[in-house]
Amino acid sequence: MKYFVDVDGTEHEVEVFERFGALEVRLDGEPVDFHYHEVNQHGQISLTVGDRSYGISIEGGTSKVAVTLAGQRYGVAIEDERERAAGLAAKARSGGGGPVKSVMPGVVVELLVAEGDAVTAGQPLLILEAMKMQNEIEAPSDGTVAGIHVEAGQAVGAGEKLVTLKGED
Amino acid sequence: MTKKTELKRILVANRGEIALRIGRTAREMGMEWVAVHSDPDRASLHTRFADIAVSLGGATPAESYLDAGKIIAAAKASGAQAIHPGYGFLAENAKFAEAVVEAGLIWIGPPPKAIVDMGDKITSRQIMGAAGVPIVPGMAEPLADAAAAVAASKDVGYPICMKASAGGGGKGIRVVREPSELEPAFKQASAEAQAAFGDGRMYLERYVDEPRHIEIQVLFDQHGNGVHLGERECSIQRRHQKLLEEAPSPTIDRATRDAMGEAALQAARAVGYVGAGTVEFLYSKGEFFFLEMNTRLQVEHPITEMVTGIDLVREQLRIAAGEELGYDQSAIAMNGHAIEVRINAEDPKNKFLPSTGTVQNLRLPGGPWVRLDSALYNGLEVGLNYDPMLAKLIVWGADREQAMERMRRALAELNVGGVSTGAPAALRVLQEERFRAGDYDTHFLESLDLTEDFLGMADVAAIAAAIYRHHKSRRRALQPSAGRRDGWLARGRRQRTDYPLPPSIGGQA
Repeated sequence: MKYFVDVDGTEHEVEVFERFGALEVRLDGEPVDFHYHEVNQHGQISLTVGDRSYGISIEGGTSKVAVTLAGQRYGVAIEDERERAAGLAAKARSGGGGPVKSVMPGVVVELLVAEGDAVTAGQPLLILEAMKMQNEIEAPSDGTVAGIHVEAGQAVGAGEKLVTLKGED
Repeated sequence: MTKKTELKRILVANRGEIALRIGRTAREMGMEWVAVHSDPDRASLHTRFADIAVSLGGATPAESYLDAGKIIAAAKASGAQAIHPGYGFLAENAKFAEAVVEAGLIWIGPPPKAIVDMGDKITSRQIMGAAGVPIVPGMAEPLADAAAAVAASKDVGYPICMKASAGGGGKGIRVVREPSELEPAFKQASAEAQAAFGDGRMYLERYVDEPRHIEIQVLFDQHGNGVHLGERECSIQRRHQKLLEEAPSPTIDRATRDAMGEAALQAARAVGYVGAGTVEFLYSKGEFFFLEMNTRLQVEHPITEMVTGIDLVREQLRIAAGEELGYDQSAIAMNGHAIEVRINAEDPKNKFLPSTGTVQNLRLPGGPWVRLDSALYNGLEVGLNYDPMLAKLIVWGADREQAMERMRRALAELNVGGVSTGAPAALRVLQEERFRAGDYDTHFLESLDLTEDFLGMADVAAIAAAIYRHHKSRRRALQPSAGRRDGWLARGRRQRTDYPLPPSIGGQA
């Protein structure tokens, strides 16, 4: 099975396959000499690569995990080939648009765009205040503002829709 | 006021790691401690570790830890003799301190008047100026013309920061480094301010270049004896949120320490201080200026404890009980080096945005000279109601080099799953050359790019994640679907129920 593994924005291709009952791994085409052992059911992992030993902590589901090793925390997104194909098809259909959701509960301080505005990736859409800090919520991709679902002063929960973007056709 | 009381039971009006930290010393001193808790904190560590736990009810701080009436009632009901406020919440609320005393309880903190005097920036600046404590040189009154500014500049000293009297939000601010630049700069800035705000008057103040945040810990008993316990360096911060602190400061020499310590004692005496307090200074190139005084225990107090060997909470409790310090300045020495890293629920790769979730997969550091003051447990819900600080990791080393290496080692052992924390940012700071040389100021943390893979282990992470995912998908594929599982369970239940029971259990007789 081939996996597309995005580690904080850098993509690696990792092939994991079984041969004679044992796992074999290739990282970006190169075979890896490793030993992998799940210490418990909660995400403590013992991994050796060559003769280097790593005590790793992993949390998450199948598509997104957090990997912590040696005190560094990596955000990792994983897709297999089927998911990648499905993801690309969906993206092509929507043109990169879709709803922008709140990642945390907070209060909308100010809206910085209006319906119909053209926006570019990274442009701030609104300011959300959470934990006494003002955070700019940015457009994830280029597009047009198709709908605004909140108003200034409104409290929003985590996962709530803030703005819907329409991708370029 | 100075009669001695034997404290047998105290109430800690706080939550999280600080409630636990205070309770631990109380227990070591043979006292019982009473925890108060909100509804979400029913199962938190401080509730579980206490001798007595009193529910305050409510979910928000206002309904619980900030409700002075409920807390005093809890103290009365539980038979506590004294209240320790910790930091935050009601710790610097003079009205609460007064109410505690009026209720016949002992307030483990400074006199309410000292809290009031130090609580207001302008008042405290005036008191400090009068007491001879150095403050940032500046004019109390705005100036209208350039000639007056030139005359005043001699008292202020260069570099000078000019601020529009009516300005705000960083507008109308100018830094002047040379006397020759002052007159033209003043005219220009004044004209701008006149145009923007309709008021051309300007304040002059010393501009503090490469500022460092350095604070002095003081202790005063009720009998007029006071000592300082040296400094803490707190310049690794962003938006005034501290991330890493160390003691002693790599930039302060013996003579400066003595001078700052003396100034801190003067500052405390000027307001009749009692208990543990911290005098904050802005330090720049050999000069230091009074910033403010925190009339409570500080978050970063453990690093002072580690280098002086003095338990600050023990001293607070002894002072509150009316005891004398029993030692003077000559008994205080700073031994070795201590570093603290705050473990906050935040995402350093995403502008330190707050992070929420359920803590899981904890892996806690240990080993020699490592101290963890923590409220963490697997299952802890990290929300937005409370301060994001979850724990403090503190290490001691014989010198700064050892302390830095020990902290790197300890941070590498730590994992807090379920939320992201600022710990990797601290690890990054600890490997920066400028930090290691001790050459940093309050802007240092913001100058770092915290998104890069500074340990270069992304490929190992990719391998681990892919194998983890592979096993997880396989296990999931082998698991029965929800529908099939429901069918099995229903059949199993039916079979169990249909099993012929003996008459004695089946109840047919």
